[in-house]
Order: sequence, then C-alpha cells, then structure tokens
Amino acid sequence: MELEEMKSLWEEMSDKVEKQKKVTDSLVLKMTRVNYSSKINKLILYEMMGALVCLVAVIFILLNFSKLDTWYLLGCGLVSVIIIVFLPLFSFKALCRMRAINISGNDYKQTLMAYSKGKIQFLLVQKASLYFGAILLVCLLPVMGKLIAGYDFFKVTDIWFVYALSFPCFYYYAIWVRNSYIKATMEAENILKELQQGS
Amino acid sequence: MQSKKDFIEIIKDNQGLIYKVVKVYTDGKESGEDLYQEIIYQLWKSFASFRNEAKLSTWMYRIALNTAIVHLKKEKRKGNQVSIDEIVLNQPDTSDTLKEEQFAVLYTQIRKLNSIDKAIVLLYLEGKTHEETALITGFTTTNIGTRLSRIKQKLIAQIN
Repeated sequence: MELEEMKSLWEEMSDKVEKQKKVTDSLVLKMTRVNYSSKINKLILYEMMGALVCLVAVIFILLNFSKLDTWYLLGCGLVSVIIIVFLPLFSFKALCRMRAINISGNDYKQTLMAYSKGKIQFLLVQKASLYFGAILLVCLLPVMGKLIAGYDFFKVTDIWFVYALSFPCFYYYAIWVRNSYIKATMEAENILKELQQGS
Repeated sequence: MQSKKDFIEIIKDNQGLIYKVVKVYTDGKESGEDLYQEIIYQLWKSFASFRNEAKLSTWMYRIALNTAIVHLKKEKRKGNQVSIDEIVLNQPDTSDTLKEEQFAVLYTQIRKLNSIDKAIVLLYLEGKTHEETALITGFTTTNIGTRLSRIKQKLIAQIN
C-alpha cells in the first residue's frame, strides 16, 4: 500500500468516523472525573511499600550491627545495608522521572525523548535490582541467621557449599536477566538515537 | 461550569481525532479504552491552560500523541475505569467487508512503524501541512519531509 493510497483510504475512513458521533456528554463528564491511578502511580505505591520494608530491615541490621562479630558477617551486613538503601532509592528516582514528563507543555519529540531516556534508566534499574537482589539474598541470609537465631551459618551449616553449588544457577539467572532486557532497552535506545540524529 | 460545557463540545466535535490516535497506538480493546480515557483526562487537565494561542487541533494532537507515548499499554486499571460503550472504539459502521479489512490493514501497517514515524504518518494522513506537523511534533519542516519519504520506503518494505 502506497502512502497516497493510504491517504485516500484514510480519508474515506475519517468520513465514516466523523459521521458516527458516539461519545455522549455524560461519558465525557465521567472520564474527566475519573481519578486515574496510572501504572506508574501504582508502581510508585509498590515502591513506597517496598521502601518501608527496606527501612525496617536497615534499622534492624544497624541497631544490631555490633552482634556481627566476624569479618565475613560484617561484610555481609554492610553489603546488605548498602543494597537495601540504594536500590529502592534508584528505583524510586527512575519512576519519578517517568512520572514528571510534561504532557501538556512538551511537543511530541520532547516527550518521546524524555520517555525513552526514562525508560532506559528504569530498565537499567530493574536489571540492577535483579542482580543485586540475588546478591542480597546471599548476604542477608547469614546476617539474619546471626541476628535472629544467633547462629553463624558459616560455622554451623554448609552454607559455603550451598553457595558454591548455586553459583551456576546464579550465572544462568544473570544471563536470563540480561537477555530479557536487551530488546526493550534497544528499542528505546534506537528511538533516542534517531531523535538525536534528526532535528 | 461553562468551560466544562465547552470542553464536552470540543470532545464531541473532535472525537474522530481521539479515535484515530487510539487506533494507531493500541491494538486491543482494553488498552484502547484505557488510552481513550487517559487522553480525555489529560485534555481536561490542560484545558484550563489552553488559551487559543495555538490551533485547537494542534493542542489536541499534541496532548493525544504525548499521552499515547507515556501511556503504558499493558496497564490494567481496576475499579476506577469508566466503562466505555464498546461501539465507541469499534470500526466505523460499514456494510462493506472489504473496506473494513482495508481499514484494519491500514492500522496494522501504521502500528508497525516506530513511535516517531507513527505520529508523522498519522498527521500526514490527517492532511496536516509540514508546518503544522512540525509544530505538533517539534521536528523541523525539512525533517518532516525527509522522514515522510523514508516512511514511504518503510511501508513498501513492510508490505512486500
């Protein structure tokens, strides 16, 4: 179908659409009143709930930090705190950036650019969350074991052995994460590249 | 209150514009309904700041197209969504099945384009001049021309 052919077909379709006045006053009114909670808003709510859980966990670890009495437990505790603090922060920041896009003030190009940049950042944070989430699982387990049950898992269990055995799983998990995000990120990057090339 | 009345009239007069943007940017009934409502909601939100400085259609296209980008297609809003009568987003009434198929093919071909080309081709089909398209999209008029010839090639490649 050529562009000109499309245009005549489009005009024909437009004529038919124009003749069909289907939207009613009450429907428009309802739609202006609806208090939308977009997916981004919902995600922000989930993020906030997650952040609250993280905050409780961080406070708990920090209050009991002195109980981590070996270098490896201290290391695990420190890594856990860093991940728990920074991951929600980055995620929240990425979501806010997407939410801040000015729909009424921007032109299409500006919106598309802001959205693509925001999407790339958001996907990056999501990818990082999956990697660091796995690291957190590894670090948090002995820390919580010590702080809650009072055991040093490295001494009383074969946790090193479990870690060594699960390493291949972690490796394949990392590859899966990377592959899952490649396509989505590439699409956004291509749009951005095209926008930056043409003025 | 008067402004609400004006707004309703504007929406009713230009429902074809919203319909076409929705059809180009979504391919499912649910996502279409979502986008339709979101566009009207965004238009209403910025209606107060619309001071007739720009052409009404330019303002409407800007908001509708910007909303279509930011709107997340897989979004599912439960409990707070207005149920749009199914016919609002149906294909135009036509007894000609062949025509219906052609309209469907038309939308499918446009949907396959990337977000930049989709908006430009939509505005071209709507009979907008390069200047108006530039005003809505933020691209230069020369760039619009160049992109349109590239889109022609893309469409030919898509079909063959």
